[in-house]
Amino acid sequence: MPMTKAMENRVKTGVHFMLGNYALVEGAISAGCDFFGGYPITPANEISEMMAKRLPQVGGKFVQGEDELCSIYACAGAALAGAKAMTATASAGYNYMQEGLGYCYTIEAPVVIADVQRCRGENYASQADVMQMRWGASGDYEAIVVCPSSVQELYDYTIWAFNLAEEYRNPVIIMSETTIALMRERLDIPRAESIDIFNRRYTTLSPEEYKPFAAEPFGCPDAAPLGKGYHTIYSLNPHNEVGSIDWDPDEFDRLYKRITGKIRENRKKICRTESFYMDDADYGIIAYGSEVRPAVEAAQMARESGIKVGVLKLCNVWPVPEEQIAQLAGNVQKIFAVEMNIGKYAGEIERVVAGRCPVQRVTKNRGLVHTPSEIYDAIKEGVR
Amino acid sequence: MMKYPQRITLCGMGGQGIILSAVLLGTTAVTKANKYAVQTQSYGSEARGGQCQAELIIDEKPINSPVAQTKDLMLAMFQEAYSKYIDVLDPDGVLVYDPGLVTSLTKEIKHSYAVPATQIAVDLGSRMSANMVMLGFMSEALGIVSKEDLVATIKDNTNARFLEMNLKAVDAGIDYAKEHNLYYKD
Repeated sequence: MPMTKAMENRVKTGVHFMLGNYALVEGAISAGCDFFGGYPITPANEISEMMAKRLPQVGGKFVQGEDELCSIYACAGAALAGAKAMTATASAGYNYMQEGLGYCYTIEAPVVIADVQRCRGENYASQADVMQMRWGASGDYEAIVVCPSSVQELYDYTIWAFNLAEEYRNPVIIMSETTIALMRERLDIPRAESIDIFNRRYTTLSPEEYKPFAAEPFGCPDAAPLGKGYHTIYSLNPHNEVGSIDWDPDEFDRLYKRITGKIRENRKKICRTESFYMDDADYGIIAYGSEVRPAVEAAQMARESGIKVGVLKLCNVWPVPEEQIAQLAGNVQKIFAVEMNIGKYAGEIERVVAGRCPVQRVTKNRGLVHTPSEIYDAIKEGVR
Repeated sequence: MMKYPQRITLCGMGGQGIILSAVLLGTTAVTKANKYAVQTQSYGSEARGGQCQAELIIDEKPINSPVAQTKDLMLAMFQEAYSKYIDVLDPDGVLVYDPGLVTSLTKEIKHSYAVPATQIAVDLGSRMSANMVMLGFMSEALGIVSKEDLVATIKDNTNARFLEMNLKAVDAGIDYAKEHNLYYKD
């Protein structure tokens, strides 16, 4: 793709030492984000601040809502109007967004939401929203949640989040954390032409032929450009292929099987993991988000003392990377489930492992990320 | 020249430019010297006067855990902050402190450098530039970043109104190391 002036403004190619929240903004802008609706909350404020500066430079729009609900609904509207829309909030604010998020799932609006998790009103580290990100809104849906562990991944995974939202017409949540959001770190931004961008599919049918919610049984419907004669009701109510509110049980069944199936049936395509020291590992750590970092160091410490430990990093927690977790369970004597909450995702790991090997929970809920020694100590204890 | 990883804590009082100093060092290491760096911080809700601390790790390879349990270098610009964080400094490590503001040293550190940065900055006409004196000193005495790289970063990131004073303060820190022959040797 030839480089245009607009792309140059969007992609700040080069080496940076950047705050995590700013890296997320640069990822969004690189992905083509052109609408942000948000309401202030720490530790997500730098996202709004930088969006307000960057969006006008690339022809985008920044809206500060009067609250979180306004912000998420503004994103829903912008997404339907063709924008790549996102909002950012933090745990308490994410609570408020659930109603609008549920609407986005149902009308299949490709909105990206960053939840910079914090601890009960303060800027302390936490992964306590991991279940709310899956189950927060009412009704049936499947969530896609990506979990960056570094400033570089805040950039990279934000692009990934926009691509997934566009591909599946589903909200995508970026699970950020105080730890990485307020950290400065090296960020390498590649050249614009080397970044893969996915844009939603638009219908080729005329307004008369177009059915806004028609798709394969587990597929994603083609979008229609707004203002070109395509009239669609985007309703939270059960709706049929043409978008009419329809309470017929068969229509209801078909709608929700498709909305959930388009994610579930593509799980293998969506899920990403990375492995560290796994080739000869006798024990496995599973970690996500900022906890991956001390986990990798703990594995190094364990190996220095002769315990062969590997790390399976989950790049996304929802949908659950079931194949990778099950494979690990078949290869190791024990799995250590590391997370920064009272032990939540460990339940999913235990479900998938299904008794193939023991799972030991290594949790910490003190507003601080695990130290490598804490994880190493748990391993030493657990392998005896 | 200190070896890698360099696990650094900078601590002092809100308003002394502690966090800015860490950001400038990290920016220099990453964008000018092609190193890896990670910086975190903690501070009270006071705009000025509370304790503040910035942590910085510089390495030649990507860094895993963002917070180091032991530090190799501490810059201390305020007594209370020194007292709070000195425990994590390796006794074989490096302490750089302002003797006008850190008056009670409680731990033997192998490489200790007293740099009256605040007094030097006051003499130059800007108390606010004490952090720049310290950056100049650390560049010259410890070699954690080169002077050329540091000055380039400061030029990229400083409001024109303060640039001249800041660069003067950096030079004063470098001169202090030279005049007193304060150079780190392992």
